[in-house]
Amino acid sequence: MPGADKEADLTERIEAFLADLKRGGCGTGPIRGSGETARETTALLRKVTAQARWSSAGDLMEIIRKEGRRMTAAQPSETTVGNMVLRVLKIIREEYARSRGSSEETDQQESLHKLLTSGGLSEENFRQHFVHLKANVIEAINELLTELDGTTDNIAMQALEHIHSNEVIMTVGRSRTVEAFLKDAARKRKFHVIVAECAPFCQGHEMATNLSKASIETTVIADAAIFAVMSRVNKVIIGTQTVLANGGLRAVNGTHTVALAARHHSTPLIVCAPMFKLSPQFPNEEDTFHKFVSPHEVLPFTEGEILSKVNVHCPVFDYVPPELITLFISNIGGNAPSYIYRLMSELYHPEDHDL
Amino acid sequence: QLEQELVEYFRTQVRQDPEVPSAVAAIRTLLEFLKRDQTGETILGLRENLTQTIRRLEEADSSVAVSSGGELFLRFISLTSLEHPDLSQCKKVMVERGELFLKKISLSRSKVAKLCHTFIKDGAKILTHSSSRVVLKVLESAAADKKRFTVYVTESQPDSAGQMADKLQNLNIPVTVVLDAAVGYIMEKVDLVIVGAEGVVESGGIINKIGTYQLAVCSKAHNKPFYVVAESFKFVRLYPLNQQDVPERFKYKADTLKAVEDLAEEHPMIDYTPPSLITLLFTDLGVLTPSAVSDELIKLYL
Repeated sequence: MPGADKEADLTERIEAFLADLKRGGCGTGPIRGSGETARETTALLRKVTAQARWSSAGDLMEIIRKEGRRMTAAQPSETTVGNMVLRVLKIIREEYARSRGSSEETDQQESLHKLLTSGGLSEENFRQHFVHLKANVIEAINELLTELDGTTDNIAMQALEHIHSNEVIMTVGRSRTVEAFLKDAARKRKFHVIVAECAPFCQGHEMATNLSKASIETTVIADAAIFAVMSRVNKVIIGTQTVLANGGLRAVNGTHTVALAARHHSTPLIVCAPMFKLSPQFPNEEDTFHKFVSPHEVLPFTEGEILSKVNVHCPVFDYVPPELITLFISNIGGNAPSYIYRLMSELYHPEDHDL
Repeated sequence: QLEQELVEYFRTQVRQDPEVPSAVAAIRTLLEFLKRDQTGETILGLRENLTQTIRRLEEADSSVAVSSGGELFLRFISLTSLEHPDLSQCKKVMVERGELFLKKISLSRSKVAKLCHTFIKDGAKILTHSSSRVVLKVLESAAADKKRFTVYVTESQPDSAGQMADKLQNLNIPVTVVLDAAVGYIMEKVDLVIVGAEGVVESGGIINKIGTYQLAVCSKAHNKPFYVVAESFKFVRLYPLNQQDVPERFKYKADTLKAVEDLAEEHPMIDYTPPSLITLLFTDLGVLTPSAVSDELIKLYL
């Protein structure tokens, strides 16, 4: 039967995605960039919306939450998956509210105002059935996908405002967003880039090669030289894996060093991060933070004698506190770290924060 | 007359249930006033009587919480009266909504505790100041979650907080009382600092028992996170720029204000901690950074 086929196909696709997530990000840098992960997740959720059987918004949200929990459990450090699930849940809530005709967003958030004026313990259970809800939700998800496609270009378009001629810019490791950002500025300005190689995975090398192909003067330095070189740098521009709810970052190992060096020399630290990287997690919650990979990169197995006497760790991520960051550049423009809470309330609904 | 009765009602509330926050007791008293008041004929008259009552309550208990509870209630009246201009109907709706509001905010302490206890890690050493029922609830939830931690409580003169240490011991949490002056000494051992607040001001700073500012400055110097737990009805429309800016009527106890002529001789009971020293605020509206507080206040009062 065609229905059963489609369902089998859908479960197959989800299983394939989960397996891929579990394998990806194995430490030599993610096999897929966060942008692709976000796009895949959203496309998959669109498929679920189109093909799963549901009669009211509440059912759909339950299904999406269930799938979302499985996906985040597969690879907890890949927060874009969870973020996209939350975006879709917010879309469903908005479309539901619009279909009901109520004044959408202001009704959603908890606030002192709501506490005072609401006429009853508002148990919004999303049980009403609307004929066009499915079409509306799918259309909204398509809009989200278009937004995702355009993020890197939107960020790169802002490059000329921030990079001036004859500047020395420092960056860490490899970020596709920063690469596009710098390449866009290079079309009209001449500047110099210093790339910290970011051991032990040394993705800085690849970044430097790509930048020099775009005829940008690039220098690669070892991580130990970051502080020494910082006095000559005008700006530091970095990418990140996740932006946390307090405005801090979870970025590649070595970023905290760069941030501290920049603070010491009063050099502005600019973070290029698209909005799908914004996560509602706070940095102090247990077990959501670190990811360690094989210490082979740090101390190879050939050094057998030392290995029994020494503990070797290879963490993948660093936490950068919000005080060290000057500006966030995202696809919706530039924002200060203290403004992140506001962006979060626009993208996600507080009840969805724990999937 | 009616005002005297209400002040008595307020005092009985606080005596009967020591767990109830003073702002909630104040709001309950004002709701009683609404129910008992027969003289009001217009909404403006009602507001005036309410303002009078609030002033009498503030004379009985000069804490910031009573003031913020009173302002919130006044705001509540204005918002409701905008929807129902007819007085009798308005009163009925107000009483209904008032009861609902009280029910909701009685849950706020548990909401805060639920948000905050995940930030306490196993083996953490926590420093807290004076006696705060919200902090107690947070520590209770964390203990119930089978986390092991130790607590340092400051002695918090002049009206020492021995009660906090006793309550924690009853919960089987290892607790040590330290001198107020020993805060700098103990700060290197501590992992995080959690304090309650009597009032949260518009800038995102807090007004709390004297000694909190000291604690915040020390924790900033040692790079320790400084968390504040407060329910949302403690948000106050003040914007102090320094310690002097905090109004005198909050700084001293109600009896002192009435009895003493020259306040310069008295010791203040509260101080102001600026938002730059606070890491995060845990409220029943969610986990907020200090910059988000003014947003919340605007949403209410605009």
